Amino acid sequence: MSGIVELTKVTKDYPLGKLSVRAIDAVSISIGKGEFTAIAGPSGSGKTTILNMIGCMDVPTTGTVSIDGTITNNLYDHALTELRLNRIGFIFQSFNLINVLDAYQNIEFPLLLQGTLSGKARKARVNEMLEKVGLTKQSGQRPNELSGGQRQRVAIARALVTNPAIVLADEPTANLDSTTGTAIVELMRDLNKNEGITFIFSTHDPKVMDRATRLVMVADGRVVE
Amino acid sequence: MGVLFLIAIRNLVQARRRTALLSGAIGLVTALLVLLLAMSQGIADNLVRSATTLSAGHVVVAGFYKPSPSQAIPLVTDAAKVRKVLEESTPDLDFIIARGRGWGKFVGPGGTVQSGFGGVTIADEPRFVSTLQLAMQSEYKDGGKEEILGDASRIAEPGAAILFVNQAKRLEVDVGEAITFVTETNDGRTNTIDLTVVAIARDMGMLSSWAVLGNMDSLRTVYKLNDDTTGAFWVYLKDIDRADEVMNSLRVSLAQAGFQLMDHQGDPFFFKFEEVGGEDWTGQKLDLTIWRDEVSFLVRILDVFNVVSVFVASVLLVIVAIGIINTMFNIVRERTREIGTMRAIGIHRRRVLMLFLIEATMLGLFATTVGALVGAAGALGIDAAEIPAPIEAMKMILLADTIPMAVDPVTLALVVVVLTAVTALAALWPAALAARLRPIVALGHTA
Ligand SMILES: Nc1ncnc2c1ncn2[C@@H]1O[C@H](COP(=O)(O)OP(=O)(O)OP(=O)(O)O)[C@@H](O)[C@H]1O
Ligand SMILES: [Mg+2]
Repeated sequence: MSGIVELTKVTKDYPLGKLSVRAIDAVSISIGKGEFTAIAGPSGSGKTTILNMIGCMDVPTTGTVSIDGTITNNLYDHALTELRLNRIGFIFQSFNLINVLDAYQNIEFPLLLQGTLSGKARKARVNEMLEKVGLTKQSGQRPNELSGGQRQRVAIARALVTNPAIVLADEPTANLDSTTGTAIVELMRDLNKNEGITFIFSTHDPKVMDRATRLVMVADGRVVE
Repeated sequence: MGVLFLIAIRNLVQARRRTALLSGAIGLVTALLVLLLAMSQGIADNLVRSATTLSAGHVVVAGFYKPSPSQAIPLVTDAAKVRKVLEESTPDLDFIIARGRGWGKFVGPGGTVQSGFGGVTIADEPRFVSTLQLAMQSEYKDGGKEEILGDASRIAEPGAAILFVNQAKRLEVDVGEAITFVTETNDGRTNTIDLTVVAIARDMGMLSSWAVLGNMDSLRTVYKLNDDTTGAFWVYLKDIDRADEVMNSLRVSLAQAGFQLMDHQGDPFFFKFEEVGGEDWTGQKLDLTIWRDEVSFLVRILDVFNVVSVFVASVLLVIVAIGIINTMFNIVRERTREIGTMRAIGIHRRRVLMLFLIEATMLGLFATTVGALVGAAGALGIDAAEIPAPIEAMKMILLADTIPMAVDPVTLALVVVVLTAVTALAALWPAALAARLRPIVALGHTA
């Protein structure tokens, strides 16, 4: 157990009526700090389910999930929420910004939830993130006034603002045209290289997979490396 | 968490039409409730004013004198001694007046009126003249002049009588004209006395149909009373709200001074004849009441009005609450993915609950404040416009000829607080649902 993420024989069953669906089956993955990992596979293969396990959004049916040394299996909602807030950053396929908040406020939001930084430090941190994703000028704009690529940059800044141990991205480029998508992956890769942030993302796109330092292939709920 | 307020406000502003509709409904109910309460307060104010002018002091020290077990005369004997106790031991005393109590038939050129006859000792009552509002001749006489005839201070003259408009109309008398008071005296004989109308006052609700005011000496003459008697002492306090407390303390003082007391009973004295007449004691007993007891039948009407008002407002409130619940469920459904996102980022359930409660509370606060102000403005407008009561029977209930409205800031604030709380409460269920959503389910939701 040395990786920042350790999945050991993780199985997840979802109830479906009287039956249940096995979304992933005995998945074991170890991901080290600073890796830039792509999870790839066909639709329905279990990519989102794996990311949900890693992201403490759900707990496995059997097997263990360990995130930055914490085993999540027996944790309740409160503890899982704390883990997500402090250790994990999320980037979504459809950006998922809070549409009544502007770019600055969206990025600031997780810091406000944490409530640890002073107002001044918070402001400095948000501005630093805006600069890193190249949106200093757009800080006062609301999501509906931003392009898709800009929205995903805001989302990246929001995911990184708390200095999480891992950043998860479920198909971050799927809703973007290929040029913009490439730029987003490049941005993530830069942040990974320059700041050592661990990224785990799922994708269908071979060009995106190419950028990964590590590729986990899944099919039918199993890892097929 | 200022950001939760920001999110709530911006969402309310963004859903402009929905917010407007919902706050319109909440505001309407608030305004209606404020109007009903203002009317209730207006009636209550009138009730206090007319009761404490025509029927009672804040505390009433009266009683019955029974020369034989079967007779009950509403009289206080040993009046000077009673008054001395009252003057010495009434807490919060403002002033004391003595009122003679008579009952009989007033006969005028146009008809007769059954009424009480209040015996006034003007020397006792410095404020008497100012509490009565005299009517213009046109108010009680067809083709009368727009001019006040008569003078309330002439009540001091022997044989003087002051009528109210309703009585003057029925008797068809004017100021300066004569009427006759016919009554049964304490020994069971009929006696009469001629009176001169010295002033005609504006009605003060239904109580003024049973009150003719006259000189105490006229009462003494017609009932053959000695100088050391009176009908009742009306004790006025600096603070009417202390009436109950003062009555109880006076009971103790009077008992210590050796007076016999009747048990307290919350009814006007004229309801008590039968019972007192059936008791087998003789001599004098004092009976202490407060103003509310002397007009208990009107207080009951007001209570009914209040119950009906609260019922109507509650029904409307329930309907609006259902609307709020429904709307909040819609809001939660529309924002499910946003809730999922926030939960993924790391917001706790309790804060999701708060977010929606804040939203509902702000909506409620805004809507009820506007509604309360509109209602208050409407109430003040109606009061100022002196809109006449549309039906005669309403005048009795309203205790006034026009619709009375009184706006009390504390009541307004209370209405705002209570209705805002109701709004928040209505949002509790949808907000709890939002808080309970599992993050992956909420995220997967496509609105
Ligand atoms: N909540 C759920 N209830 C029932 N079945 C589920 C649930 N979530 C996922 N599944 C099932 O689990 C399997 C894996 O789903 P998952 O969403 O992880 O796949 P994916 O690789 O992310 O697919 P895609 O590329 O389409 O996003 C699928 O068969 C899916 O139908
Ligand atoms: Mg998926």
